[in-house]
Amino acid sequence: MLDLAEVTALITREAMLLDRRCWREWLDLYSEDSVFWMPAWLDEDTTTSDPDAELSHIYYKGRHNLEDRVWRATSGMSVASDILARVCHQVTNIIVEGPDSATAAFCSHIYEPKRQRQRSLFGRYDYQFVSQAGELRIAAKTITLMNDRIETVADFYMV
Amino acid sequence: MTIENVGALVDDRPSDGWFSVDRAAFTDEALFEREIRHIFEGGWVFLGMDSQAAEKHSYFTVTIGHTPIVVMRDGEGTLGAFVNACPHKGALICHRRTGKGRLHVCRYHSWSFDSAGRNVAVKGMNAGAYSEEFIGRDRNLPRLPAFANYRGFLFGSLVPTCPIEEHLGEARRLLDLSADQGEGGLELVPGEIVFTFDGNWKYQLENCSDAYHFTSAHPSYIRLLDKRAKERRAESVRSIWEKDKNWSEEAEGITGGSYSFDEGHVLNWGLIGVSDAVPLFERAEILAERYGAARRDWMFNMRNLTIFPNLQLAENASSQLRIIRPLAANKTEMRTFCIAPRGESAEARRQRIRNYEDFFNPTGMATPDDTVSYEDCQAGNANRLQSWAYGYCRGATASVTGGNAFSDLLEMNPARSVLGDAMLCDETLYHSYYRAWLARMEAGAARETQDA
Repeated sequence: MLDLAEVTALITREAMLLDRRCWREWLDLYSEDSVFWMPAWLDEDTTTSDPDAELSHIYYKGRHNLEDRVWRATSGMSVASDILARVCHQVTNIIVEGPDSATAAFCSHIYEPKRQRQRSLFGRYDYQFVSQAGELRIAAKTITLMNDRIETVADFYMV
Repeated sequence: MTIENVGALVDDRPSDGWFSVDRAAFTDEALFEREIRHIFEGGWVFLGMDSQAAEKHSYFTVTIGHTPIVVMRDGEGTLGAFVNACPHKGALICHRRTGKGRLHVCRYHSWSFDSAGRNVAVKGMNAGAYSEEFIGRDRNLPRLPAFANYRGFLFGSLVPTCPIEEHLGEARRLLDLSADQGEGGLELVPGEIVFTFDGNWKYQLENCSDAYHFTSAHPSYIRLLDKRAKERRAESVRSIWEKDKNWSEEAEGITGGSYSFDEGHVLNWGLIGVSDAVPLFERAEILAERYGAARRDWMFNMRNLTIFPNLQLAENASSQLRIIRPLAANKTEMRTFCIAPRGESAEARRQRIRNYEDFFNPTGMATPDDTVSYEDCQAGNANRLQSWAYGYCRGATASVTGGNAFSDLLEMNPARSVLGDAMLCDETLYHSYYRAWLARMEAGAARETQDA
């Protein structure tokens, strides 16, 4: 079984690195072939489960995709990211569920300075971990976004 | 401000080379309520695809203007569209986005309705001491005065109106072009994405048809496509623009253009070759055999179609069906789906879905750069010092009456057309939107005067 303290440290560190915009350190938490997935909803109660045959909000296999997203958000070439939103992730209810998996609840508080508009995105994280060179890394992260009527934008760093 | 004369908001003088829309059309709240009554609740609007209620007794819910609607398939398999509100007190009858039921019992006082919208029971009818007047009344769910299924695309109207073929006019050939891609038409990929933006609905109307913004609003996306094409990673899907960059400022010669139709429908399009970077490539031969090479080639072209006022079919980076739902002068909801030919291979579907998510989703790498720009426009269009917008004039000297060699290939006769290179980026196609907008607004006002 995974050590709860170690898992908690990793999950909360991920939240902190995103909120502080420490992009490189955040990317380093992921294994090279990691999956970053936020399914869409099929109906009121069920999310999509097959990313190759059903729609997702985000589905990436490979950390390089997240690197692309970081590049875009910081490139100055995206008006939606030109003034980054300020985000505060709160992660709680962390439970180790299997030999390499854990779950957590999250709420991201988002403030867009340009519009002086605030909102929140909330849901559940499901993690798969892998041990690489003695370090625990994220092999897969599934984000179940509960409030999926998205107000204008929900970028990778907001969820 | 109070807008007395809606006609004064559109300065339509093509012979002077000038067309403009007053910015108040995007910001005025009283005008917005008139748009809801006269445009959305006053004529044909798109409701959804017939595949959303595929089985007997299944339904989906949608809104026309402020009015909740349910589209149901009855026990005979016939589709009907009704106001989704109990005649008793107005409570919603069908509660889910999609669902199924032979009998819908109102959760408030248990009046019940079958899947053909008929009121089959009033709880305590005999004990209710009802008058003859009440007993004799029609208590069914109100049926929409006009409802039609065109090639799987469902349209409805809250007022009696013309036949759907008349409303779609020549633009129906573009729906045909999409519907003919699959064996048995089109389907919605499971999973619906809904988002809002704090801006007027007409920014979305225009943006779909806006070739001019692409290289300005989406450089981060374009750069990443180039990077991915060079990297050629095994798990990355290919982009349809890998070979044909019809939007690129370096592209030479005729790269596409626009068609405008009566009733406010418009298309902007770009040439894309029959390339193996397009998911449809697996059907290239069979489509050519069935429809001829010219029609097949058109299926591969980039196409952004608006069926006024609320349906958009964007077949570019991937394929999207959008339903525009105005919520306020400064707030709009978008219901969006990945639309795909039935029966395509798993690999083609995967490519379509991956490209869709990156380009079209509010969590993706392109749409937020559009919607954030709409919100910027909403702020800027409060400007009354310069009330006329300058965004309707590119292409003024290139717009011609009727079609051209490319529309002839589809035996399609648009009202107007523009053909040009990548930098022309026609804006005259929006004129069609605002002419239809004005026609519905004025017809609606006339209807109200008549009723008064």
